[in-house]
Amino acid sequence: MFLAVLNLNHPAHFLNWGPLSISIPNLVIILVMVFLFILALMIPFPNHSQENKEGEK
Amino acid sequence: MKNQNSFKNYPASQSWSGPKRQYDLIKELVIAIVVVAVLSIGLSALFSSPDERAVTMKSWATHNPIDLAQTAVGELAGTTTSAGYGAPYNQNGSGQSIAFISPQKWLGVRIPINSAQDLVIKPLATSNIPGATDLVSKWNSTSADQQIKWANDFAKAFDKDNALLSANNANVQNSDGKYGPVPAIVNDLLTMARSGALDGALTTSDSPLPTNFTKPLLFLADGGSYFSSIASKYHLQGSQWGVMNETGSWPGQSWLWLFSFWYQIPPFNSSPAGDLWVGLIMGVLTFALLLLPFIPILRRIPYWIPIHKLIWRNWYSDPDSKN
Repeated sequence: MFLAVLNLNHPAHFLNWGPLSISIPNLVIILVMVFLFILALMIPFPNHSQENKEGEK
Repeated sequence: MKNQNSFKNYPASQSWSGPKRQYDLIKELVIAIVVVAVLSIGLSALFSSPDERAVTMKSWATHNPIDLAQTAVGELAGTTTSAGYGAPYNQNGSGQSIAFISPQKWLGVRIPINSAQDLVIKPLATSNIPGATDLVSKWNSTSADQQIKWANDFAKAFDKDNALLSANNANVQNSDGKYGPVPAIVNDLLTMARSGALDGALTTSDSPLPTNFTKPLLFLADGGSYFSSIASKYHLQGSQWGVMNETGSWPGQSWLWLFSFWYQIPPFNSSPAGDLWVGLIMGVLTFALLLLPFIPILRRIPYWIPIHKLIWRNWYSDPDSKN
C-alpha cells in the first residue's frame, strides 16, 4: 500500500448507545453530508436573480 | 385532421412562453468532472484506501490450524452450518420461513453442495500428496453411517484434547486407527491448505478460472473462531451493524443503516428467520415509499415540514407564482 498522509489502516473507534453503534468515520461522513445539504439550501445560485431578470426581458 | 388538431391542443406540444435563461451544459459537465477528479485524487493521496489482505484457507491454516482441522472434521461429520443449511445448498434443513412464506423452499437447491464431499474429500482427491487418493478411496468406499461415526468420534476426542493436533508440526495424530482415515484426511487437508492448494481446489472446482468463492466462503463461515474473530475486530459481524462498516478506519456503507437496524433489536436479532423478517419489513417499507403520494397522513409531511419551500424560496417569495 502506498503511504497515505493519514493512515487509516487500523480498526475504527465506535460510539455505542444501547443497540446503536456507529463508527467515527461513518459519523463524520454523515455530518459532512448534512452540512453540505444545509449549504446547498442556504447558498444562492451564482447570478441566479440576475439571469432570471435577463430572461424575463 | 381531427387528430392533428387534438395533438396541437395537448399541453406538452405547446411552446414555452415563460421566462428563459441560458444554460451551458458542457461547462457544467466539465466543472463537475474536474471537481470530482481533484477530490478523488486528493482524498486518495490523503487517506489511501482499504487494503486488507484476503482471508484464505492458507491464512487460516497458518494462523489457526486447530480451528481449520476441527471445522474439516465437522464437515465430514455433517455437523457444520453449511451441512445442515438447506436450500440453496442441500436439503438437510428446512430454511427460513414465516407462516406460509418459505422462499428458500420455493427456490429449491440451486447450488448443490455436499459439505463433506465438496469441501474436504473432492479437493483432497485433486492433491498430489502421497497416499491422498488412497484415503479418498477408503472414505468413499465406506458406508455413510461408518463415515459419520468415525468423524463424530474423532470430533469428540479432538474437542477434549487439542493436542491431537500437535503444536509443533500441526499434524493430527492417528490414535491407533480407531477413527478410520479421518485423522489422515485432516492432516493432508491441512498440508494442502498451508501450501495454498486448497484455495485453488475450492475455487476452481466448478470453473477453470478461480472466480467462484462460494465453497471457500462456506468453509470459512463454518469455522469456529478464525474468520469470526477477524470480522469482530473490524465490527463486520451482523450483530455489530456490520454491513455499514468497512475494514480499517475508512467510512463504510452508512446508507444501509435501516437494513442493519432490524438485526440489532428483538425479536429479529434472535429469530431463526431473522433474514426473512428483515427482507419482508424492508420490502413493505420500500413499497410504502413508492406509494407515498397515495398514503393519507404520510403524504401531508411536506406540508408540515416544507423543505421544498426553502429550496425554491425565490419562487415562493414571488406573490404572482403562488397561483
